[in-house]
Amino acid sequence: MDSLNSATLDAMHLLASGDNELWEIIGISFRVSSTAILIATPPSLLMAFLLAYGRFPGRRLLISAFSTLLSVPAVVVGLTLYLVLSRQGPLGDWKLLFTQSAMVMGQVALCIPILVAMGHSALQAADRRAWETARTLGAGPLRAVLTVMHEVRFGLLAALLAAYGRIIAEVGASMMLGGNILHHTRNIPTAIALETSKGEFTQGIALGIVLLILAFVLNGLLHYFQGKGRFAL
Amino acid sequence: MTPTINIQFNGISKRYRRRTILDGIDIALHEHQCTLLCGANGAGKTTLLKIMAGLEKPDHGSLSTGLGETKWRRCRRALQEKVMYLHQHPYMFDASVRRNIGYALPRTSSSENRDQRIIEALQWADLEDIASASATSLSGGEAQRVALARAWLRSPSILLLDEPTANMDQEARLRTHALLRQLKDDGMAIVITSHDALQFQQLADRQLLLNDGKITLVSKSEQPENVSAFPIGQARHDQTG
Repeated sequence: MDSLNSATLDAMHLLASGDNELWEIIGISFRVSSTAILIATPPSLLMAFLLAYGRFPGRRLLISAFSTLLSVPAVVVGLTLYLVLSRQGPLGDWKLLFTQSAMVMGQVALCIPILVAMGHSALQAADRRAWETARTLGAGPLRAVLTVMHEVRFGLLAALLAAYGRIIAEVGASMMLGGNILHHTRNIPTAIALETSKGEFTQGIALGIVLLILAFVLNGLLHYFQGKGRFAL
Repeated sequence: MTPTINIQFNGISKRYRRRTILDGIDIALHEHQCTLLCGANGAGKTTLLKIMAGLEKPDHGSLSTGLGETKWRRCRRALQEKVMYLHQHPYMFDASVRRNIGYALPRTSSSENRDQRIIEALQWADLEDIASASATSLSGGEAQRVALARAWLRSPSILLLDEPTANMDQEARLRTHALLRQLKDDGMAIVITSHDALQFQQLADRQLLLNDGKITLVSKSEQPENVSAFPIGQARHDQTG
């Protein structure tokens, strides 16, 4: 217990001291995950909308597929992309393996099912009259889609936060696709795994504290916007 | 003077789960004319209105405008330009009354012009006092007036209203009637569905009954000859514009 307390205190000191290596790892984590969520969100929400409002063959199959993909382990996504990006793989010529781009690809693949499945649930719960009213008031398809999304913005925001929380904390895909290279692809979860395996808990705990604070801030933001009740239309 | 035909729907059919809801309906709508559409619950009134508004697709049907006859798959855009549909309980976006009304304006209009037009619409529907209120917390009568203000701003050729005064008190009903009268006088063709035919007797120029997927003419008010000679079910042959 004493060693845990002292490691936690050391971790606090490490965070407060502005340790370059630590903050670089944090920076890589946020950069990769934020890029992934920015890339994944527009097509995922569009797909969620099509699944909620469209009527086309195979729609139910797609909904089931995305729900199933929710439970695929990150390491399986990592392995699949590893095979695709490795030198013998179909995209081997791109030389992306062990780069931040590969990590972004892995995290995009991980967060798309979350965004689609949760976005679909939120959009399906929206009042159908919102779409019809927007269209009958002269809104084009894109404006009508954005209007409906605005009406269920808190559900979509929850999907976004859940997806961000998942990818910033995942270790399997980042480890396999990034390779945990210091100054290049070492992010918070891969650094925690490495430091723990070495028996060095201080940096691991410091990074864990960052993840906890992040989770707290994300949830706080969600509750704040829900309580505030509105954005401008 | 013979009113111009704004739009004519030909042979509209719709089936749901092997049940025929609409069976080859022909209906033409004129400017300055109010049509009351009656029918039992589940007769297909709402479905017909939504098809006419381009919000639902019929199994069969075509549309005639001044430019000639158009197949249905091509006429959705034309319908959405010309026709506006108001739900029984109008949907209010989660924003202020002012923003809800402003939604009906094209995005291309300048902000000064938008503000001016919104103020005019608020005055028209007597909504100035609640302009900044949240539209989702309005009473049924107020929400209906917001919806009508949006219609006034958008000024479609055809306005379709689904039970516009359902669950309203007498005062709200009278205010809604007054606004509808103004829209009609402005030249809109109006179609109202209602269970209560008596309520719209003053406003309606003709009353149609939707039953077993077919429309029949129940009554019509005295009108210039060509308007009243609007034989439902044979409109394509007899219309003279």
